[in-house]
Amino acid sequence: MNRAYPAYACKRLAQAFVVIALTYVFTFVVVSVLPGDPVTNVLRDPQNGFSEAEIQEIVASHGLDRPIPVQLWASLSRFVVGDLGMSMRSDRPVATLIAEVLPSTLVLAGTALFIALVLALVIAYGTQFVPRRYGQGLLRGTPSLFLSVPSFVIGLVLIHAFGFQFGLFQVIEPDSVPATLFAAFALGIPVSAQIAEVLIVNLDNESRQEYAAVARARGLGPARLFARHLLKPSALPVVTVVALTVGELLGGSLITETVFGRTGVGSLVQRSVSTQDLPVLQAVVSLAAVVFVLVNLVADLVYPLLDPRVKLLEPEHRPRAVQA
Amino acid sequence: MSAVLSPGSGRSAARLAALWASLPLTVLLSFAVLALVVAWSLAPGVFTSHDPASGVPADKLLGPSAQHWFGTDHLGRDLYTRVVHGTASSVASALIAVAIGVLAGGFIGLLAGFLGGRVDTVLARLVDVLLAIPNLLLAVIVVTALGFDTTNAAVATGVSAVALFARVMRAEVIKTRQSTFIEASFLQGGSRWHILIRHVLPNASRSVLSLAVLQFGLSILVIASLAFLGYGDPPPASDWGLLISIGKDYLKWPWLVYAPAFATIATVLSMNRISRWLRRTN
Repeated sequence: MNRAYPAYACKRLAQAFVVIALTYVFTFVVVSVLPGDPVTNVLRDPQNGFSEAEIQEIVASHGLDRPIPVQLWASLSRFVVGDLGMSMRSDRPVATLIAEVLPSTLVLAGTALFIALVLALVIAYGTQFVPRRYGQGLLRGTPSLFLSVPSFVIGLVLIHAFGFQFGLFQVIEPDSVPATLFAAFALGIPVSAQIAEVLIVNLDNESRQEYAAVARARGLGPARLFARHLLKPSALPVVTVVALTVGELLGGSLITETVFGRTGVGSLVQRSVSTQDLPVLQAVVSLAAVVFVLVNLVADLVYPLLDPRVKLLEPEHRPRAVQA
Repeated sequence: MSAVLSPGSGRSAARLAALWASLPLTVLLSFAVLALVVAWSLAPGVFTSHDPASGVPADKLLGPSAQHWFGTDHLGRDLYTRVVHGTASSVASALIAVAIGVLAGGFIGLLAGFLGGRVDTVLARLVDVLLAIPNLLLAVIVVTALGFDTTNAAVATGVSAVALFARVMRAEVIKTRQSTFIEASFLQGGSRWHILIRHVLPNASRSVLSLAVLQFGLSILVIASLAFLGYGDPPPASDWGLLISIGKDYLKWPWLVYAPAFATIATVLSMNRISRWLRRTN
């Protein structure tokens, strides 16, 4: 740890909180100020059969008749103390709704991240040690391919091939272990591509270094060279990339849960979009941003501790992970 | 410069030929795919004689054959025709998304990088905010606020790409601003505007171009995701994402998913390859 670290940590921490607060404001503005008034649109839908007086009452009970800045302030000060407000559709606290579905999404995202890491390692290992004539080029192309396939297509292909053709899992039981595993694959494959891309670039750099040549000359086999020498320096930047992919995992759960028919945060978003349940939408998006910012904060704080070579310079000079 | 631009001059022809010969095979293939996609979107009628909106009910859910290259859907419509006719909408919305990303993101990045100081700090936080919200969720809330149709989905996708362009543009501007020739131009009495338009923008354009090409492919994916979730135009539109979404209810006839998915993947993969090539030939 160097002397600049405490100052760096404080600065990053302060930045993170500013970004979280601003994100909440931004989401609020997008959801409530942009043209089109989703709330009254839904309420005025003749199918719902509300009278004009009832609409006014509903709008007033949620405080939606007050000026936007007042609403924003009230909502933000509740958010800061952890109160996410009430759902407009089910009259239940938003926090409860999210807490109900969170475990399922955490299991899915966690498994997906694990699968992504393993896949990325396998692909990266292959690009270093599979000879050119046995398809190294093909392996190098896989991350690009994985990133070009819509994630819902991966899910549909898995369902079609393994669910329907081989009967490895029951599509109608989305929460069973095999179905969860395949859903995690669908979510993890695009993420693995991002990790693999960074890993491959770093491994290519490291294996050109003299120490790698020395290790090879000493007669070290490819597996040990990879595991003992190349992996450690190449894996450090992966910390940053993994932190960045958290957003992908959270956003991707929206698609994956829809495809596999799972209940989770993603399907909650899907439902609250179709019923225009804005408090839920606002809460989920803000919480996703909070998770993203905190995970990246931790990654940025841990990184200099893991890699003593990192110099703490101004942000624009700090090595940033490549975003795919 | 003029020698390169004047048509028919021997040197430029030679250069073109050299460039042509230096193209890797995969890049050539990618350009071919791109050309086909552009052709499909400009003149879909040339490539198919079927009607995309009305089908022959007796011919429903036929497998791929010489008559129906990609098979037919649940209403007996020729799927190849639907894919070809859906191209224009998919491509146009990706273009809208990229345009928004390049213009808004480029402007933010340019201001931040060129003015620096307070402006930079404020804009950096704005970009952080846009980055903090997962891409797809950001697109979803924007399209929710705007209303569900394909153009709005494209706008939402563009908004979710703004941060990326802003960051690249800012980095490029700062890199260029610090170089010696900018200092020289400034000392020779070049105004800020002169430096901006004459030096900074042209230098940044290369990176932004390769990012724009990449983002074009990614936008197709995001827009397809939004269409898949039902936030785009409803049928009988035939966006690729929508076609896949319809196909998912007929998984027993997998070509309904695989054919439009194949068109999407081939296009995005080609754009990735071209973007990579552009970055390397910088």
